[in-house]
Amino acid sequence: MTSLTTTVGGLTLAYSGFVALSLAMDRHYADVFGRGQEPGERQRLVLRLLGAMGLVLSFALCVVRDGWGVGSVLWLGMLTACALALVLLLPYAPRRALELAVVSAIVGSATVALDGIHGMLAPTRLPLA
Amino acid sequence: MKEGLRQCMAWLHTWAGLVAGWVLFVVFLTGTAAYFNAEITRWMQPELPAAGISLPPAQAVSMAQTRLAGQAAGAEQWTVLLPGGRNPDLSVSWRAPARDGQRFGRFQREILDPATGLPAEAKPRTTGGGNLLYRIHYDLHYMPAVWGRWIVGICSMFMLVAIISGVITHKKIFADFFTFRPKKGQRSWLDFHNALSVLALPYHLMITYTGLVIFMFMYMPFGITSSYGQNQQQVFYDELYNRAQPVPASAGAPPLGTLAPLQSVLAQAEQAWGPGQVRSLSVQRAGTTDTVVTATRQYGHSVSRNGQLRFDGSGRPLDTDSARGNATAVHATLYALHEGHFAGWPLRWLFFLAGIVGTAMVATGLILWTVKRRPRQAKAGKTHFGHGLVECLNIGTIVGLPIGMAVYFWANRLLPIELDMRRNWEAHAMFIAWGLTLLYAVARPVMRGWRETLWAASALYLLLPLLNAVTTRRHLGVSLPAGDWFMAGFDLTMLAIGASLGYAAWTLGRRKPVAAAATARKARAAAPSATPSPAQEPA
Repeated sequence: MTSLTTTVGGLTLAYSGFVALSLAMDRHYADVFGRGQEPGERQRLVLRLLGAMGLVLSFALCVVRDGWGVGSVLWLGMLTACALALVLLLPYAPRRALELAVVSAIVGSATVALDGIHGMLAPTRLPLA
Repeated sequence: MKEGLRQCMAWLHTWAGLVAGWVLFVVFLTGTAAYFNAEITRWMQPELPAAGISLPPAQAVSMAQTRLAGQAAGAEQWTVLLPGGRNPDLSVSWRAPARDGQRFGRFQREILDPATGLPAEAKPRTTGGGNLLYRIHYDLHYMPAVWGRWIVGICSMFMLVAIISGVITHKKIFADFFTFRPKKGQRSWLDFHNALSVLALPYHLMITYTGLVIFMFMYMPFGITSSYGQNQQQVFYDELYNRAQPVPASAGAPPLGTLAPLQSVLAQAEQAWGPGQVRSLSVQRAGTTDTVVTATRQYGHSVSRNGQLRFDGSGRPLDTDSARGNATAVHATLYALHEGHFAGWPLRWLFFLAGIVGTAMVATGLILWTVKRRPRQAKAGKTHFGHGLVECLNIGTIVGLPIGMAVYFWANRLLPIELDMRRNWEAHAMFIAWGLTLLYAVARPVMRGWRETLWAASALYLLLPLLNAVTTRRHLGVSLPAGDWFMAGFDLTMLAIGASLGYAAWTLGRRKPVAAAATARKARAAAPSATPSPAQEPA
């Protein structure tokens, strides 16, 4: 059974990851920071890396906690829920979407940290079957 | 050539989606509800005790064994279902030996009162429960199940075609990944339809494909009949599922043996899986020398493999899971993904959400068909019969079915308990309400039809918790403090659904002038001499 830690950690990491990925796109950067604003090249790269990191960490958390099978299904469900939330927030409350992402990133990182990085890296806990 | 392919696929997507759309909407919505079929049934039988009674498994097992030994001594099979996961009750069931000419013996089930170990006194009302919605999902209703399965199967095939052609038609899946532009008429509908489709694409593909795989032997029986012969399909299934041949009835009564207390089996299984991890114990051929006791693990640790341990009548372990072939494992995984039994609460809600997204995807697709064609209808000055038909069927299905389902729940509370064929009348109430919504849609102008039926649906859902409060003593004020999440969860979900439908109705009422103005602007720009027409109200 999926724990509260996995649920909260997986969702917050996926959400903040998607926000970073969307901000790397001109259209959504302008949604949040005002018409005509564009991210710089370095900024775009950093946002993409952060975004990918959020999604990968979310996947890692799900798989380590719930196994390859249930974990991947859970992760895909979380991606759908988070992306949908972002798509609905962007046109109506773009600044809120960003604020929520900052809070999410903090909560998500804290969850992973509390869960113990060593636990995630320990080979005995990786469910390979 | 590229452009030609895309146009071709767009045409295919439009018409495959339209032809199968209404059936698919029904399949998606009832299937989504079926993720909570047990919880819905629980709400529909308020006589049963509140969930959340804690009963130590060892005590539950000994209680169940006492009851079964007293009631079902000669039975072929016993099952003890322990409280835990989505099952709030301790229940026992047994199957009597098959008599001559029967394939299976009589099956009986009792929910035990944790205080007394006897069957719970309150007799729950007869209801179709969540299972009726689950059956409609693949059997439809008012027709032989086989017809329903064929119709649903053909429509699922259309769905698969629509998904694939839709992906090809969509020009900018990644560029538009997060894009939704509201208040822009047809543009907004298309954005929303795309977002719903793309963001849950893994789910849509999975659920459609696995749905077809579940009935693949029915849709494509030719491989089996050609290798096993026309009337030997049962042999195929027995081999596929590794079923042991049943003991022939002519063998006479097997020699008597004794059954050790099931607690020892429970203890061994809990040692292997952890406390509270045993979902059920079942006993084959209790009281004989070849008794087999099977412990089944709680769902959730694996997608398709539901761990099992086998013991003999004295509680000694037998062989563990027999190995499965790869094909069987793939089939089991696809089946499990569709049914979602492995999903605990967080994942179950995500499945539910994805189901709602799928339902909304079908609905927005159907609506988009009409939104795209409304300006042409308005220009022509009269509504084409086909267009009007689609508009009415859209309202009649997209709002009609939710209204029908709400009325199903109302009927569950309002029909007299002792009514003959009560279960059937609950279903009739659902379909009557659905039919009336369709008739109403025919009688009203399109936009008013949408708004008014949406308001009605919203009211029906918002008032359900109130109805529950009036007709039972399990309303939110009681169920929430008591932690009775089966009851409270249902009521809260109904409030959320009612609020969403109300929001839709309200938005539709507010949006009208904006859309009309936009259409008028467009009409002026296109042809300065043309008079702007009330495009939104083709009578």
